[in-house]
Amino acid sequence: MRVADVPCVFCGGLCDDLVIDVENNVVRKVVHGCALSQGKFLNHEMNASFPAIRKDGELVRVTLDEAIGEAADILRGAQYPLVYGLSNTETGAIRKCVELAEICGATIDSTSSVCHGPTSLAVHSVGSVRASLGEVKNRADFLIFWGCNPAEAHPRHYTRYSVNPEGLFRRERRERFLTVVDIRETPSNARADMSLVVDQGHDFELLSALRASIKGYGISDTAGIRKQDIEMLAQKMKTCRFGVFFWGLGLTMTSGKDKNIEAAASLVRDLNEYTKFVMTPMRGHFNVTGAGAVLLWQAGYPNSVNFSRGYPVYNPGEFSVSDVLARKEPDCALIVASDPISHLPRAAAEHLARIPTIIIDPKITMTSLIAKVQIPSATAGISAEGSAYRMDGVALRLKKLVSCEYPSDAEILQKIIEEVRG
Amino acid sequence: MLLVTGRTVRQGVASEIGKTGEEYSKNTAVVFLTRNDMELCSLESGDHVVLKTSFGSVVVRCEEGRWGRDGIAFIPYGPWANLICGSDTQGTGMPDYKGIEVTVERTLESPPTQERIARLLRGVQ
Amino acid sequence: MSLIVRGGMVYDPHNGLHGERKDIFISHDSIVEECDGDVIDARGLVVMPAGICIHTHIAGNKVDYGRMMRPEDHRRYFEKKTNVTRSGVGYSVPTTFLTGYRYARMGYTTAFEAACPPLGARHAHEELADTPIVDKGIYTLFGNNYFVFKYIQNEEQENLYNFVSWLLGVTKSYTVKVVNPGGVEMWKWGKNVSSIDDPIENYNITPREIIENLVEVVEKRRLPHSVHLHCNNLGQPGNYSTTLDTLKAVRGRRLHLTHLQFHSYGGEDWEDFESEAPRLMKYINGHKNITFDVGQIIFGDTTTMTADGPLQYNLYKETGHKWMNLDVEMETGAGVVPYNFNPKNMVNAIQWAIGLELFLMARDLERICLTTDHPNGGPFHFYPKIISWLMSRKTRNEEMARIHKKARERTSIESLTREYSLSEIVTLTRLAPSRILGLSRKGHLGVGAEADVAIYDFCEDRIEESFSRARYVVKGGKIVVKDGEVVSHADGKTYMADAKGEETDHIRETFKKYYTVSLSNFIIQDKEIARPEVVPCG
Repeated sequence: MRVADVPCVFCGGLCDDLVIDVENNVVRKVVHGCALSQGKFLNHEMNASFPAIRKDGELVRVTLDEAIGEAADILRGAQYPLVYGLSNTETGAIRKCVELAEICGATIDSTSSVCHGPTSLAVHSVGSVRASLGEVKNRADFLIFWGCNPAEAHPRHYTRYSVNPEGLFRRERRERFLTVVDIRETPSNARADMSLVVDQGHDFELLSALRASIKGYGISDTAGIRKQDIEMLAQKMKTCRFGVFFWGLGLTMTSGKDKNIEAAASLVRDLNEYTKFVMTPMRGHFNVTGAGAVLLWQAGYPNSVNFSRGYPVYNPGEFSVSDVLARKEPDCALIVASDPISHLPRAAAEHLARIPTIIIDPKITMTSLIAKVQIPSATAGISAEGSAYRMDGVALRLKKLVSCEYPSDAEILQKIIEEVRG
Repeated sequence: MLLVTGRTVRQGVASEIGKTGEEYSKNTAVVFLTRNDMELCSLESGDHVVLKTSFGSVVVRCEEGRWGRDGIAFIPYGPWANLICGSDTQGTGMPDYKGIEVTVERTLESPPTQERIARLLRGVQ
Repeated sequence: MSLIVRGGMVYDPHNGLHGERKDIFISHDSIVEECDGDVIDARGLVVMPAGICIHTHIAGNKVDYGRMMRPEDHRRYFEKKTNVTRSGVGYSVPTTFLTGYRYARMGYTTAFEAACPPLGARHAHEELADTPIVDKGIYTLFGNNYFVFKYIQNEEQENLYNFVSWLLGVTKSYTVKVVNPGGVEMWKWGKNVSSIDDPIENYNITPREIIENLVEVVEKRRLPHSVHLHCNNLGQPGNYSTTLDTLKAVRGRRLHLTHLQFHSYGGEDWEDFESEAPRLMKYINGHKNITFDVGQIIFGDTTTMTADGPLQYNLYKETGHKWMNLDVEMETGAGVVPYNFNPKNMVNAIQWAIGLELFLMARDLERICLTTDHPNGGPFHFYPKIISWLMSRKTRNEEMARIHKKARERTSIESLTREYSLSEIVTLTRLAPSRILGLSRKGHLGVGAEADVAIYDFCEDRIEESFSRARYVVKGGKIVVKDGEVVSHADGKTYMADAKGEETDHIRETFKKYYTVSLSNFIIQDKEIARPEVVPCG
């Protein structure tokens, strides 16, 4: 069976032109997908999870109902649960996560805390000038990628959305000017018209120098970049017809964090005095934007929400996953569609490994190795339907290509909700 | 040196094959240095190194990075990198994942397996 | 489930009832001639159809980014979860559960998201699915759409007709919404339009042609609601002339002007800013084809959000506030900027008075609706306050006394002594929106109508309080509010116009070339809407 227009479920690019061949309930071929996409779809059966409960240090296989029952018991009896992950599943499941967090008085957070959380902080202060990716494809004649490596993290971005596509007003590559700014050269520099290698940890100063230059102030060499180069870049940005600023974890994770994004957002906003300029964050996971969207519309905030008082309270740094775990506050955790043991700092991961942790995931992950309860689920976008939100906020409907013996995340969460309610 | 964590395609694909598998550890328990830096440290591709920050230490394999900058040690996101990252977020929710001061030294020890890391985190032997 | 609303004073202007004591019988989800059932004791209480909000911004991408912009605003208001209700936050940009509950507590059971890009329809429908109790729908944006421009430019009337039908159908929308026609496309190059005859770059057309053509298509298609138009030049001194030009351009065909208050300005700059509401109302009173909603401002903090990208940029420039911009490929844009309406600010005070002028000078109350363009003019939970200003000259004078005195000099507000009766309020907030929207089973309590009923303990001395907390609200035959509290959950219906068009080769090819999503994924599937209600054309 051949299915066309399949949205990919790896990165925030959410390319939806995949053509996938399915045979005997297994994905055999993926056309148009990048290496990451191929990796996900062709390996969807690998390392599959199974229902299990850790007894005396070892994971023991149980029935799905038993695993769900144990999870519900843990959550029902908890003083302060943590619900975390959300980014690698479909929107319906995320809604269930919020519902469950509210029932349990939990703290709920998505992986955005350790990704583009600082971007939200900047939106709270400065706002952001954005456009959907088709605007980039159709109009952009100036592109700047700052602190991100799309060649490795969003491999089809250049071709599909930004540098190479044939758009309404930009037909050829040569009509676009590509600048890459990073602390080191990466494969993303390969086709750049201009590359700046900035001193690690000094992006804020460089962004500020650019702002100053754009506004006509004198500047000096900054962050390892010569004054002439900064001034040239500023000029190019000011005189383009439609510029786009993309950024990634090189800005959100680096010293300054949200202040870096504020500087970038202010830069883009200031440029609108002279020309049309927008920005789009390079979101990592395929539905991390959706996780943010749901948390915003149900709870008012993009991440780091606490329900202990019976209503949403927001405080990044207090209720963000790393902090709350490092301070050893939660007494249990429900991990959905994420692998925190693989990506949280040691102190946080340690606490997670020492409290009863429930993991709902189609695969065995690092978090499975420390989990108290392991619950397998169908894979959103491969064996379960739903919706997902692209990095620019566009929502697409995912497809179910194969069937799975296990229910979807949403169905499992619904069962847990019913059992917790009793 | 400054430690920077980040994504690579290999690490991304390997994570789909299986986070507990060899493909993943091969592509994630690794640090990329420039040729100059490797020479300075008397290292060759394939050597094991211990990375030490103020938060901890971890043994990984070292490779010459095709892309890079002198003074920057690049390690893919993953459980090895996290063993040496701190959890202080300065109130932002975001830990320090980039720009951490790190020392790099050759070692004869081997990188921990995923199981070993799990046991370490759980506090069991 | 059957109910009898017994002994209340019924206000149902459509059926000639202005406070008569009458029992209302409800069986299942409709009003019936008679039946047995549980009794709601409505003695001493006022009974009317439930409220309908014809224009509000409550769901979709720009609203959600509005929420992201306003964590400080969220802390002003929150609701804890109860056995029946979910929790939430938000003073001017409430979370979805709160949106449903707060409308319901006021006795409103229908609300329409007023500006949705076609590419954002899925997001809006998902948020509306989490907006409890109210019946809902989305108005989809057409006024800066590539296809619309191309078909008008090439004079392909058939293709335009087909495209409008097709797009309404695949996005499951209720109506054709137009915002700053041509201006938002210009904004994609950092520009705007300043009259309906300005040429639009890269397209050989003008805003006038966009308006004329879309009105023509909607007329031909006989959609339940007319084109819903946010005119060019919103908020600009002297923009009344653009509004008049627009009104004349449609040459007698149906048109709904939204948040008219923001388009009724005279003067040349902020210094000599004044009202031209009388002039506009003279025209509108004399032209039956025109309907409008007011867009009344409320003093205090709020959040502006519209699809009018360049307007939102100007607001940022004027206020220095944080600013969000959201351009959407091939279709439209949006922007969000917090704003404070200050009673001591001359312009804001005049704006307040202009809104009231529009209310008080309207002759045909079936052609005018009460809105604040939530949250642009102010949060919707202030509707009862507006009702009190309309019903009580004393109350509005009290407000007038504390605001900048130029409001009295630059508008005719002082000379307007009219006070709305309760029946007239019912027409304004129930009957009129139902007529204008083409929802024949709403807005009245005759046999066959939907059982959406609001019951208030009305006191002339406490108008705002009376309307803020309904004694009972019945939605689709079920009691959802009692004593101002939500007592049971309900899922509203999603209204969509009965419109279908052909997916032509041109549509297919254009999607492939210039959009960044596949056409098949752009289309909203039937299964994505839980309770669809298709409203026929003609």
